[in-house]
Amino acid sequence: MTNASEVLSSIQSAFPGAVLDSRVESDRRLWATIDSKKILDVCKHLTTKLNFDHYSGSAGVDWIARKEMEVVEIMASHGAHQVVAMLKVKTPRENPSVKSLTGLYWNANWYEREIWEMFGINFEGHPELYPLLLSDELMGAWPWRKDYKGYPDLTTGERAVKISTPEGYTEYHIPPTPAEVEAGTVVTERPKYPTLREREEKEIKSDSEMIMHLGPQHAMVPGPFLLDVLVEGERVHKAFLDLGYIHKGIEKIMENRSWLQGITYTDRMCYVASLSNNECYCGAIEKILGLEVPLRAQYIRVILEELSRIQSHLIGTGEFLTLIAGVGYAPWQYMIIDRENIISLIESVTGARLTHTFVRFGGVRNDLPAGFADQCKKVLPYMKSRTEEFIELFAQDPIYHKRMDGVGIIRPDDAKRMGVSGPPLRATGVAYDMRKEDPILVYPELDFKVVTGTKGDSADRIDVRLREMLESIHIIEQCLDRIPEGPIKTEVKVPKKVPAGEAYYRVEDPRGEMGMYVISDGGDKPYRVKVRGPFYATFQTLTPLLEGTYIADAVAIAGSMDGCPSEADR
Amino acid sequence: MGISDVIPVPVAIDEEIEKWTIFGQPVAEVWFTTTEKIHQIIEMGPIKNIFNWGRKNSVYFLMQPMGCCGVEMFVFGAAPYDSDRFGCIPRNTPRQTDVMIISGYLTRKYLPVFKNLWDEMPEPKWCIAIGECAISGGPFYDSYNIVQNTGDHFPIDVFIPGCPPRPEQFLEGLMNLQEKIKQRKDKRDY
Repeated sequence: MTNASEVLSSIQSAFPGAVLDSRVESDRRLWATIDSKKILDVCKHLTTKLNFDHYSGSAGVDWIARKEMEVVEIMASHGAHQVVAMLKVKTPRENPSVKSLTGLYWNANWYEREIWEMFGINFEGHPELYPLLLSDELMGAWPWRKDYKGYPDLTTGERAVKISTPEGYTEYHIPPTPAEVEAGTVVTERPKYPTLREREEKEIKSDSEMIMHLGPQHAMVPGPFLLDVLVEGERVHKAFLDLGYIHKGIEKIMENRSWLQGITYTDRMCYVASLSNNECYCGAIEKILGLEVPLRAQYIRVILEELSRIQSHLIGTGEFLTLIAGVGYAPWQYMIIDRENIISLIESVTGARLTHTFVRFGGVRNDLPAGFADQCKKVLPYMKSRTEEFIELFAQDPIYHKRMDGVGIIRPDDAKRMGVSGPPLRATGVAYDMRKEDPILVYPELDFKVVTGTKGDSADRIDVRLREMLESIHIIEQCLDRIPEGPIKTEVKVPKKVPAGEAYYRVEDPRGEMGMYVISDGGDKPYRVKVRGPFYATFQTLTPLLEGTYIADAVAIAGSMDGCPSEADR
Repeated sequence: MGISDVIPVPVAIDEEIEKWTIFGQPVAEVWFTTTEKIHQIIEMGPIKNIFNWGRKNSVYFLMQPMGCCGVEMFVFGAAPYDSDRFGCIPRNTPRQTDVMIISGYLTRKYLPVFKNLWDEMPEPKWCIAIGECAISGGPFYDSYNIVQNTGDHFPIDVFIPGCPPRPEQFLEGLMNLQEKIKQRKDKRDY
């Protein structure tokens, strides 16, 4: 089995002088600063020789005191080994520019676009450096840089000007105030790029093609995003995605809050998976602090995360059924009714239905209430029988299968190449699960299997989710039997200031691999928090998947991904 | 125009009818008149109350989940809390809705789209703001991308606080809106 120091020595021997600085944190984490001229070669070496076939994302960091910027590439493997390599590339703060990895990894596209629009770091060789999350008026302000001063102006609403374009569209324009211009938050010089509409119109080749908007408000969407499809008749020729309609800038806000306050923001990133987001953030900080979590707290966390996974899969599947409405409006109602049982179980512990803020550094907020185990033993068998009913319902329904089979197939190789994780990846037959791959808490001691599909189509993705619920129930039952008595918080006093350091922590979200990269500079606030969301990665695959399908299937494909635009936009 | 010009009736009856009044106006003028006049009469009389009774019991809302409150809105519209009991049914297009629920953070990019959605809704229409984000920016108050004071953009009748509010609070807010419609105290004055 490859470990981190072997990876490091392999890079050093292949490219002498390329590694400027390195740190082997454990067998599974490698931190290395790579010479910016050699980053492409090093990545190619990692991919071809050392099985780093999973490009997990990248993060930008603005080191204003050192007058340099950093791009951190996060690389991992699909099961060949468990090393996560964090490769840093440095670039001066004046005219920052690094080499683009889009030639090597298809899914680097969006991550680099995001860093470009937020930090202003240019990527040489990137094919389409257009804004992804920000609106046009904020482009060029580089909001995630440390010297950005822009705060909202309360008179925005009064200043909105309604404009009718010559083509007949109504648009609202918000001109900047003199105060904003003076503070320098409004940029007069913007980077030049074609707008979404211009890019779309460029693709229209013949008179029989037209562009259809699905969204931002649409029956299909679980939150606002814009999916434009270029159609000829019923066939989709090309799809365009525009997101950022609910971009809140959580990563920037967290830099202005204390470490503890940050937990509340992880809740609101993906509100149906808030417990795993809590876990991810707290886990990363526990790693920096070197805290040990008491055993009872670990069990409580696992129980709640699995409960949260069940409710998330229920609402995800239910939403999907409403999209293909004719088949499944009644099961959606059943699923929401059943979900209430799980929600009240979670609520009895955390006191909230959706946003829990329950996990703490080195423990949990409070203990399980009296009678929780008994209540679980009542609800879980019922949920099990219901889930089996749902699986049977879908397996037997010929209309459902006619509609879903063979729709939106992802091949395993493509899924790996595109960075998909979670149920969409496992439906293709790749058993890649963070609970086995990068085990945390008490997961290694528990008995469960990774559910996989065979075909990788929409029906398989739903099937995998439903069968995963059964596994989750199995995990919770084991935890309830084994949970020991003891403290629920670490006895070490958690300091207000976290010592300088950095950590990358991965958990298995209901939607896939959720990773958080946290940097501390020794202060009472995070220096930088980067969230590698699972749906952000899955979202990106939507455009190639839709090409060549029927327009009626667009909804079935997009729905089966169990979308959460809030987490993609952050 | 007198009534006898249209329908030949005995003169005695015609004279009698012309003495009748409805809401202070001669009946003859009301019966043979323009739609505008009918609207005027509806405005001033108790007929409006009957209209609003109907309106308050069929407040269809726009299914537009934007944040955490959007998930609670799903549950509010589905079986466990069953908003249908109050005539409040989720619809997917703004053309069929009466109530816009702002269920989360309004961003700079989404505001123009949201205004268009509001313009697309047919009259009469009402607006509810749900959750801290829609009311004041909530936990994201100092974000560079969030629009605060949604009340400046939309005539909001009911604010439902909470982060996110429970579905029960949704029901309470809805009933408050219904009461407002019934008492003709809503912002747009229907």
